[in-house]
Amino acid sequence: MAGNGEIKEDGGKGVKDMVMERIKSIKDIPPEENMLPGTPACAGCGGLLALRHCMKALGRKIVIVNAAGCFTLLTIYPYTPFKNSWLYTAMACAPAGAQGIRDALDILIKKGRLDPEEDLKVVVLTGDGSAYDMSLSSTSGAINRNLDFYYICYDNESYGNTGVQWSGATPFASKTGTTPPGRICPIGSELAKKDLFAIWNSHKPPYLATISPAHPVDLINKFKKAEQYKGPKLFIALSPCPPGWGIDSSYTVKLAKLAVDTGVWALKEAVFGVVTHTVVPKRFKQVEEYLQVQGRFAHLFKPVRQEAALNKIQEEVNEYWNRHKLLL
Amino acid sequence: MYRLRFHGRGGQGARVASKVLGTAAFLDGYYAQDFPLYGAERRGAPVAASTRISEDPIMERGVISAPDIVIVMDETLLQDPLTMPVSGIKQGGIVLINTAHSPEEAKVEYKITAQVLTLDITKIGLDMLGTPILSTLAGGVAARIVGLSEDSLRDAVKKILSEIITDKRLLDKNVAAALYCFNAITPAKIELKTTDTIKKKSTVISVPFEPATVSSPAINATGNTPLRMTGNWRVFRPDWNYDSCTRCMICVARCPDGCILVNEDGYPYTDYDNCKGCLICVEECPTNSLGKVREVHTKKVIGK
Repeated sequence: MAGNGEIKEDGGKGVKDMVMERIKSIKDIPPEENMLPGTPACAGCGGLLALRHCMKALGRKIVIVNAAGCFTLLTIYPYTPFKNSWLYTAMACAPAGAQGIRDALDILIKKGRLDPEEDLKVVVLTGDGSAYDMSLSSTSGAINRNLDFYYICYDNESYGNTGVQWSGATPFASKTGTTPPGRICPIGSELAKKDLFAIWNSHKPPYLATISPAHPVDLINKFKKAEQYKGPKLFIALSPCPPGWGIDSSYTVKLAKLAVDTGVWALKEAVFGVVTHTVVPKRFKQVEEYLQVQGRFAHLFKPVRQEAALNKIQEEVNEYWNRHKLLL
Repeated sequence: MYRLRFHGRGGQGARVASKVLGTAAFLDGYYAQDFPLYGAERRGAPVAASTRISEDPIMERGVISAPDIVIVMDETLLQDPLTMPVSGIKQGGIVLINTAHSPEEAKVEYKITAQVLTLDITKIGLDMLGTPILSTLAGGVAARIVGLSEDSLRDAVKKILSEIITDKRLLDKNVAAALYCFNAITPAKIELKTTDTIKKKSTVISVPFEPATVSSPAINATGNTPLRMTGNWRVFRPDWNYDSCTRCMICVARCPDGCILVNEDGYPYTDYDNCKGCLICVEECPTNSLGKVREVHTKKVIGK
């Protein structure tokens, strides 16, 4: 195990070889802001909060490769909230863009045209539409090639930027623009959410984790742990979306917390394929608590309570935690 | 023909307002067009929607560049150089501004040459609906200015909202609020001084082809978004009470935009220039040291 705060013996002076100390509380979060305010993201954006903490953990020596999505709008000409470089790619090919940048940096260092200390971390930033659907193949390829990069997926469970349409990340019984609950199909989306964590984990990448904007300490520690590994380091952040999920903008963090406390969103990490849960609620809340505050699940409660759908959602959560023998 | 343009912020209801007006006009027997100007959908971003109402079939299409009536649903947009809500307004046309101030004050402050009407629609929305979503209210105001009937407004609100919401009580509240707004405003007569002709000459500007090194939007700056001043998105502002603040830093960790800074004594404070007013800090504060206060913009501006 890598110790706390020690410098690895074989390491050089670069940030990469320094395994930083784990933080213990919210007060230990680095105060330096690497993403400035004034972005066009919606007020109360859960993904933006997750990204803000990710940026604190990553530092400024990075280059972001952003697939099309809500967060491409963070950087609209002539403004950028970042202090680092940023590249925009099409939805399906952000990991391919990352490969190009990584190769370019490696070649420049090898030829002596770039000081190794000036090396940058390559960070892919995409939404769930890109990560779960469109760029799944190029991500699979990048993990398979053991590309040294970070991947942050902000998962708002829909194509949020274009007005909330169904995506591969949309959970069962959710209402979206393309899965409206109606007379023929009263439950909304009939398909289950893809288990991207398991799909990515089947490649056995060095580091893979789920994160939540409501658990910044866990989030930052995961990034710190990931830093010691060379190769793909992947993160999926559940990001409550006030317009898409039908919640008040002030409720984002409460909802992200509820997702963890009800067991809907499991905070876990996987190192070379071995999964460990990092935050396990002492007592699980009923999933209903999480569902009933959201507009996108309102049709499950009104005008008639759809008991079968509600039970199915609860059972799936129970089944998950039973499988991992963590349900108390 | 009347050409109307609605300016609001994403989530406020400019699109639905134009739809309510278009539908009401249609129910009154007019020809009508209503359409939003789509961009990337975000809450808080400037949004525009247009409505054309005519006794004859409408042959015009596209964005309205010279409106007769402009409805400004968020007055901070008047100072936004990228939006310019009153641009192209005809001499003698009407600008309705959602503000707590009198037409005279607003006219002077924002240097508007057209006729100005004001109504605090946000306050009505908060009082009658409990939320600052102003779609049906702005639709009601516009229906009165154009001179539509109360009955078709009522039917239009019911028709549009029953497609969006299932809550019957909220729908009834919206009908009541729309009718309240309809009757709250004294309509001015539209006295157009220019003749109503369509410009024949094309206004399309053709841009010559440039290589990507010139034409691609490369940003050669870092961290300059604070210049955008997203603070004018707020409807409510977080209000501090330092007597009970324990400097626990929870609000700092919860702000999505990083708008809560810490002073030398370790007390957090809000960067009001950029705070979008999501109020997560108010919701999360464990000691209730944060409250919310309605943001009234012009008082500060006019008092200068």
